[in-house]
Amino acid sequence: MEGKAKKITTYLPAAIGAAMICCGLYFDFYNRDFWGRGPLLAGGLLLLVISLYLVPGKKHRAMVNGLFLLPLIGAFFITVLIPFIFGIFYSFTDWNGIKFTQFVGLKNYGQMFQAPDYLYSLLITFLFTVFNMVSVNIAAFFLAILCTSGVKGRNFYRASFFLPNLIGGIVLGYVWQFIFNKVFTSLVAGSVSMLTSPNLAFFAILIVSTWQYAGYIMMIYVTGLQGVPKDILEASAVDGAGALKTLLHIKLPMIANTFTVCIFLTLVNSFKQFDLNYAITNGAPSRILGAKAVASTEFLALNIYNTAIARNRYAEGQTKAVVFFLILAAVSLTQVSISKKREVEL
Amino acid sequence: MKKYLWVMAMAGAAAVLSLTGCGKSAQSDGTAASSAGSQSADSKSESQAKSGGQAIRIVNGKIEIDQPLKAFAKKYQEKTGQEVIIESLGGGVDINGTMKGYLAAGNMPDLFVFGGEGDYQTWKDYMTDLSGEEWASQTEFGFKSEDGKTVGFPYAVEGYGITYNKDVLKAAGIDPASLTNYDGFKKAFEAIHQKKGELGLTAVCSVAAESGQMYWSTGNHLFGYYLSGGLKRGDTTYIDQLKSGKTDTERLGQFADFMKLLFDYSDKNTLISGTYDDQLALWAQGKTAFITQGNWIDPSLPDYSVKFECGIAPLAFTKDEMKGVLADCPSWWAVYNKGTNIDACKAFLKELALTEEGQECLVSDCGMISPYTTCKVSPKTPLAMSLKTYVDAGNTYSWEWTKMPEGISMNATGKVFELYAKGEIDKDGFVNMMQTAIADYVKK
Repeated sequence: MEGKAKKITTYLPAAIGAAMICCGLYFDFYNRDFWGRGPLLAGGLLLLVISLYLVPGKKHRAMVNGLFLLPLIGAFFITVLIPFIFGIFYSFTDWNGIKFTQFVGLKNYGQMFQAPDYLYSLLITFLFTVFNMVSVNIAAFFLAILCTSGVKGRNFYRASFFLPNLIGGIVLGYVWQFIFNKVFTSLVAGSVSMLTSPNLAFFAILIVSTWQYAGYIMMIYVTGLQGVPKDILEASAVDGAGALKTLLHIKLPMIANTFTVCIFLTLVNSFKQFDLNYAITNGAPSRILGAKAVASTEFLALNIYNTAIARNRYAEGQTKAVVFFLILAAVSLTQVSISKKREVEL
Repeated sequence: MKKYLWVMAMAGAAAVLSLTGCGKSAQSDGTAASSAGSQSADSKSESQAKSGGQAIRIVNGKIEIDQPLKAFAKKYQEKTGQEVIIESLGGGVDINGTMKGYLAAGNMPDLFVFGGEGDYQTWKDYMTDLSGEEWASQTEFGFKSEDGKTVGFPYAVEGYGITYNKDVLKAAGIDPASLTNYDGFKKAFEAIHQKKGELGLTAVCSVAAESGQMYWSTGNHLFGYYLSGGLKRGDTTYIDQLKSGKTDTERLGQFADFMKLLFDYSDKNTLISGTYDDQLALWAQGKTAFITQGNWIDPSLPDYSVKFECGIAPLAFTKDEMKGVLADCPSWWAVYNKGTNIDACKAFLKELALTEEGQECLVSDCGMISPYTTCKVSPKTPLAMSLKTYVDAGNTYSWEWTKMPEGISMNATGKVFELYAKGEIDKDGFVNMMQTAIADYVKK
């Protein structure tokens, strides 16, 4: 008897809590206007959590750990995972941003590759990624060497090179657009803005992107260079290695894992580039491609944004987004696995 | 173990409270981030987002009239006790995207703005029928649904063509009344171009054709003249043709000739890399004689201390005479049919349309022209007055360009205009490329 009563008091709050949460979720779907929806969900969750304490066992510590993680995981789940899953689902329908009426299977995927502007976007994004990776890493590496050499004021250099990264992408884009359109054209008298030529506009975005991101990557390289063990450097100095030889044969192999990280970061960042693209050119200027006009600097993220928002074709945009994710995941996983093989295990 | 109960309750409360931060209703100043496609149907956050109570909420799409509207709302509240919250989005914020986010979050406003047929197709299931309202019979600019019911409340008439600096034209000896066909404009441009130096101009026209930010000026407004300039109001010949993917080559050819004329006499830098502000500043400071913008630039004129007289002339690209300008409602307000304050909204709209204070607000304070035949208030700003002469004389053409497929100017036609402006294609190239761009865009 007593055992049964104890069991009920142990499990009843948990049951009530779970029931309240289910009611709340039910109302979420079917009766949005019910005022008690919020309190039901919140109260149910709270009750469930408290009732877990009553469950006999020694796992209380683990439960508390889990609870503290819950806000973060919950937020990640709601803002990233659920939209991701819904997105994949919507890419198989004819969703218009509000509702969908039918499944169309793989039709969106097939149709997407027939648009010339999407293919051009893919091409130009790949080109930009390659150029940007090279230029950012080279610039950042040289800046890092400068900041780790014995030159005076290197702390000041470090801070000021990092500063451009702190300015938000959109604001930065508009400021540089002003510089390209107004400042450069008045410095070089009679010239036309770089942003009106399809090829020069590409390099304009490249310049700004390098300027913004090199500082951030430089910090990582600085940390890597400073992490090279001093005894190896001393040994090589004793053996008579000059500065260049030290750099090429000692330091470079030792910071191979830094290279992995930096190349991965620049790869992902360039591929996803949107802020600067949108603010500096928004796809302009146009160029003639096989008797059609295409936006010459419309990178992939901007293309997806335009398809969904400007053209009001949400299902097609969602499909492009899924493909975007697949490409990026495949490329970055490949890059990381290749780079990891070259790392030196200390 | 008591400690653990306390800790677990705190942690549980923290987990729950962290979710109440989401779902606040958006600010009322155009800073709403677009979250199109937010899948929060089953998230707990919208439980906090209902804007219940007595106040009615309006999403307005014209950020320029935000302040006058709020002042009127305050007066309305003092008069009737009904609170009205005005939320203005504009200046580049994606209005449709924001509203789709609101709908998904269960946070739909009571009155919302929509911009024409494209938006109507998206939102038609959420609009209330307003045909029985008193003001619906006093205007020809109300937005009608597919079965003839009025669902859109018109709050202003806007018009555009080629806006000219009357003083410069007078000094060059040109009569604005002669600007009614291609030849009239050609003569005027050449005459002004010759006297450029003594008139103090850098160029004859101020046009912007850059495709990243000014696609709407060329692809929507100027192209709108091709679609309905010279035709009777509601004549949908060319727009129907466009929706089926075709264009009238001969008319488009005349349009291309006029565009070439316009581009040739425009300031080069503004044409290919200027922003809206650059274009406006050039004309408002008296450096050009013409600008291809409409009466909406009226509120900005005092910023440039504009002292010269100005007016609007038709963008008469045809060889035949064209005496009217394109004037229509830029957007309408619809009443959300699942809202809880429909009657209060109808009362507010009636107040705005039919009373003297309402018309004062819209016409004098907001600088727009009233679409109502019973309106007695006259505008005081120069371009609005110029436009009113066309409206009163019945010399207007409808804005068929609003029925174009969504995003066509940003994604297809704007680019062709830019190439033409830069001189990379000639007239035949322009006509062919426009045809291809339209056919491709409509096909998908």
